[in-house]
Formats: sequence, C-alpha cells, structure tokens
Amino acid sequence: MKEVRNNLWQFRARNFFSITIICLSFLTLGIFLSLSNNLQHTAQELSQNLTAVFFLEKNLSDNEKSAISDRLQDSTLVFDVQFVSASDALEKFRVKFPDLKDILENLDKNPFPPSFEVIFKEDNLTPEDIFAFIEQIKSTERVSDVQFNQEWIEKMYSLSRLSRAVGYFLGSILVLASFFIISNIIKLNVFSRKDEIEILRLSGATNMFIRIPFLMEGTILGVFGGALSLFLLFILIEIFPVYLGSSLGVLNDLISFRFLSLTQSVFLVLACAVIGFLGSLSSLSRFLKV
Amino acid sequence: MIELYGISKQYQKPNWALDDITLHIEKGDFWFVTGPSGAGKTTLLQIIFREIFPTQGQIVVQGRNILKIPDHKIYQLRRTMGIVFQNFRLLFHKKVFDNVAVVLQILGVPQKEQRKKVLNALRMVNLHHKMWDFPSHLSYGEQQRVAIARAIVNNPKIILADEPTGNLDTELAVEIMSLFKAVNEQGSTVIICTHDRELIRNFGKKMLFLYKGKQLRKEEL
Repeated sequence: MKEVRNNLWQFRARNFFSITIICLSFLTLGIFLSLSNNLQHTAQELSQNLTAVFFLEKNLSDNEKSAISDRLQDSTLVFDVQFVSASDALEKFRVKFPDLKDILENLDKNPFPPSFEVIFKEDNLTPEDIFAFIEQIKSTERVSDVQFNQEWIEKMYSLSRLSRAVGYFLGSILVLASFFIISNIIKLNVFSRKDEIEILRLSGATNMFIRIPFLMEGTILGVFGGALSLFLLFILIEIFPVYLGSSLGVLNDLISFRFLSLTQSVFLVLACAVIGFLGSLSSLSRFLKV
Repeated sequence: MIELYGISKQYQKPNWALDDITLHIEKGDFWFVTGPSGAGKTTLLQIIFREIFPTQGQIVVQGRNILKIPDHKIYQLRRTMGIVFQNFRLLFHKKVFDNVAVVLQILGVPQKEQRKKVLNALRMVNLHHKMWDFPSHLSYGEQQRVAIARAIVNNPKIILADEPTGNLDTELAVEIMSLFKAVNEQGSTVIICTHDRELIRNFGKKMLFLYKGKQLRKEEL
C-alpha cells in the first residue's frame, strides 16, 4: 500500500489527468442518468391517481355486466370500480352541461353507452402493468372502447428511455475513451518503471507480485474519478435550479436533475474502479513477458 | 549444479555470440568466466538465469532443464539465484535499504526478519551506515556494493556476477572478491565474469576462457 501511495504521488500530474478524464466521462453518464431519473419520476407521478373508463355495448345482459365487473374488481391494480348505466351517464351529462339540454331532448334515444369507471391504486404501479391491464380488458367481449390518458404517460416514458439511451451511448463512448486513456497512462507509468519491473522479474517476483501495485493504482484512480464525478454531479444538481431553474418556468420540473439512486451511485463508482483495473491490466501484459 | 551442453547463441547471422559451450559446474564451485569484451561472458550468464534462450543446446540447473520451465514458473529458478548485473540495475528512487530488501519482499519474508537480513548484508559490504541514503548519493563503488548486498541477502544457492569489480580500485576489488569467497565458503556456487586477470590469479579456482563466443580453455588454477 505504501508502494502504491508513493507511486501515485510520484506520477501525480499524469494520475490527476487520468482522474479528470474518468471523472468527466462518468459525469456525462451521470447527468443523463439523473435527467432520465427525473423524467421517469414525473411519468410515475402522472400514472398515479389514474382512472380509466371502459365503455360497454348497449344491449348488455346482467350476467355479462357482472362478469366484466368481477374481472375488473379481481385485478390487484384496481382500487375502485363504479358502474355507470346509460341513464346515469345521460343524467351526469345533463348536470354537467345544462346548456346542451335541448340537444338531448331532440334525440330519439339515449346516445350514452353504459360504462365502468375504474380508479387505479396509488401503489407503485408501473405503466407497463396498467397498459397491459387496459389492453386485456379492452379485448374482452362487450367492451367497446376505453378512455385513458395513455399518450402523455407513454411520451414521458419514451423521453425517459431516450434520455437514458443517449446517456448510455455517449457514456459508453466516453467510458471507452477513458479506458484507453487510463490504459495508456498506466502504460506510461509501467514504462517509466520498466527497470524496476525487470529487476523484480530477475529477482524471482511472480507476475502477480509485479501486477498488484499497478492494478491497485488503476483501481484507486478509477474510484477517485468516480467519486469526483458523483461530487460534481451533486454540485451541478444543487446549482442548476438556482441559475437556470427560474428561466425554464413550467419545464423546470421536467428538465431538472434528480440525483442518482444509491444503487446507481455505487454502480458508477464500481464501474470506474473496473475501468481503472482493466486499463491497468491491459497495459501490463506486454511488460511482463519473461 | 549447472550443466551446459553445446550451448550456442546467435543474435544476428552469421556471428555466434556463444558457440558450442559445454561446462559442468559443481555445487559449491567458484568459477571465473573470462575473456575480452564481446567474448560472450554476459550472454552466458543471461542464459544461465534464463533472461535469454540459447539458439542451440541444453542447460540443466539443479537437475532441471531450465529451457523447459514454463514462463510463469521461471521465478522459482530465479529465487535460487543472486545476480549482480554489470550496470547494477539499482532502483534509484528507493533507498539503499529498500534496494536490498526488495528480494526479501518478493519472498514474503516478515518485515522484522527483512531488517535483520538487510542489515547483515549491508554490514558484509560495509555500507550499513548508508542504508537510508539514495543510491544516487553513493559513489560508483558503493552502488556496486549495494548490488552485491542485494544478490547475497537471501543466501542464494547460486551467485552470478557480471564484472562485479569493474571500475573499482584494486583494494576495493579485493575486498569484494573476499566477500564472494566468504559467501562461496558458506555453500553458494559462485560464477563471476571478469576480464581482470590479476583477480583471477589471486582468487581463481576454476576458469572458463571465452574468445569470440568460443570456449578456448577450461582451467583449474
């Protein structure tokens, strides 16, 4: 460990450079992850307090009605189910839109179909679950249509997925770049110590004995880079609303950044450590030939 | 202990750096390998500790054909050897103590024992008072003695030294040779490459004379 500390200090300028590269690469990934987190969170909020209305065919028998009702009530996603008959629907319309009373009186028959109004639970339902449930009920016999605010939620989720995909794409390129940079920096470190490696080899050191300090150095550089990128991301998230938030108005909620979850943060630092480790490993092999 | 059978080495055609060397070195022997510059002395040592492979021939060290030892196991052979290189190969960013201790660190010797052994080795080469200095602060002769201390610190079975007294004054050269003699008397097999005929006359027991890669004569003095 003392050896590793000394080496890190001895080549500090070059090591600082590699930490900066790792940090910037993973900061980019972190920014997109955090943006995606926020979009996903907004979409999740929108999908709560959700209601859907299933319109039924008019000549529905009582048995068919109760079969559909049972099916709705049996679902673990559903909080409450209300049946609205055709006459109830007409009455509701009359109450809600009294100015249009004349139009209804000129009609021969009630134009409103009977329906079930479904209120979903406020638990952490995923939109995929809800969409699947709606599709399932929609395909049931005697259900003619469904009214559901699906489009907006789908768009939010698509945006979230897009932001994550862009993050992963850009992040991967930058991570790959940082891998090569670390690998080359470690290669420089190894090269500047090739005499030492030579002496160790000729004195009977195993390859593992020679490798370990370099691998530790690479891993430590990675961890420092990752931790620094998390710190900068945190600062960015704290500062962003102060400087830009007010000018964004309503969009502020959508574009604001949400800090990474604990799992994502741990993953990011671990990924940096792995990049540092692999970068070192790849640069060592050519110097360890006997 | 060390058996060479028809060892030849060619770096570049048509010249042979070593040409058909056959030699048997017994356990506890003290050999000098001598000859003018370019005779192949260093190449011979490099082949014995398998830094390089011969173009032809076989070499058996302690009963094992070392050319057949896989790369990842070659450290086992080298751990039985102490090597003094012509250019010392010291670690200039480490102190004298650490330069010598590196061999023991490789072997995983406990720190307390490392200190004791390093101090003993440095006492033998009369450098214990400079163990916390960096090699760059030492004279050429002192650096050479650090390299020797590193080679003997672990009481190796075989000591290979390439011009260990080159650039030393006669008095110091004699002192260093006495040191190798003492290590040899403790049971180590010693092979020294040198072109110093005077030294061979004073300390020599067995000698291999090389000229342009060829073994001109083997002598017991």
